[in-house]
Amino acid sequence: MSKNRVTRRQFLNYTLTGVGGFMAAGMLLPMVRFAVDPVLQKKGESDFIATNQKVADLTTEPTRVDYSFEQQDGWYSSEETGTAWVYKDENDKVVALSPVCKHLGCTVNWNGDKANENHFYCPCHGGLYTKDGTNVPGTPPIAALDVFPTKEVDGFLHLGKAEPR
Amino acid sequence: MKWHTQDIQLFLKERDYIDTVILPLYPVSFADDIQQTVAMTEFINLLSGQLEKQFKGRILMLPGMSYLKTISEEKRLADLIEWEKELISQDFKHIFYITSDSDWKTVEEQLDGGLIWMPSIPLDNMDDQYKLSILEDQVKQLLNVFVKKWQNND
Ligand code: FES
Repeated sequence: MSKNRVTRRQFLNYTLTGVGGFMAAGMLLPMVRFAVDPVLQKKGESDFIATNQKVADLTTEPTRVDYSFEQQDGWYSSEETGTAWVYKDENDKVVALSPVCKHLGCTVNWNGDKANENHFYCPCHGGLYTKDGTNVPGTPPIAALDVFPTKEVDGFLHLGKAEPR
Repeated sequence: MKWHTQDIQLFLKERDYIDTVILPLYPVSFADDIQQTVAMTEFINLLSGQLEKQFKGRILMLPGMSYLKTISEEKRLADLIEWEKELISQDFKHIFYITSDSDWKTVEEQLDGGLIWMPSIPLDNMDDQYKLSILEDQVKQLLNVFVKKWQNND
């Protein structure tokens, strides 16, 4: 009878290994998930965000389009807002530019400076971009404005994730 | 730049370009005016978020100073002047305070930094798109204030 009984030492060994194992698993699993998660997330279609802008109302003059979307940031979601400068080019193709200055990230404005008409102007350090988003040499920005992929759904403009050119 | 680790990295690297600092002032009260102070805090919080977006590359948006309304005005002013001294010693060329609390207007002259007082707009029952356009309007007005100040000093 006493032979089958678990000794104090064995008991402690078992329990400690067990608990240790759980703790290790608890630490490792989230790490594995971190590593694998981005692969599992689906990309594409769902990344497009609807705006209130009718595509038919767009002209060759860049207009400001504001949109808002739900952003999941860690464990709480917040209402995020974004902006795009949108116009139709000579071929009637919709162009949507990110307003984020490629210098240090201020918001650029179309015709924001009276001395530089038909340009995007950054009020922070005088960055300039031509209408197609190309940075004007001699001003602080070192790259062209990012471009949003666009599509039209039921007449409304949808924007994807802005990408560098 | 926000008071976030990533932004501050950039701030430290590009310090010469970021010559302006903004400190939001948030009143807190538990008396009859509790709702008012909440609305003011909420509004200025949203507004300073939008403002930071507009001017990210040239301003540092501080996390804001909360203060109790039960504390005397002299004491509050003294506290703010402590902040101001520190900000001046950090070589910021332009210092701004932004608030909805009109108490600060009476002490404006005693401050070196500029006081931007914006009456709080009740935004809680508005739909997001509308809320956004109101905030954009306010930011547009402020854009001129900042650009003028920068031009005068450059
Ligand atoms: S952030 Fe636009 S020019 Fe510096």
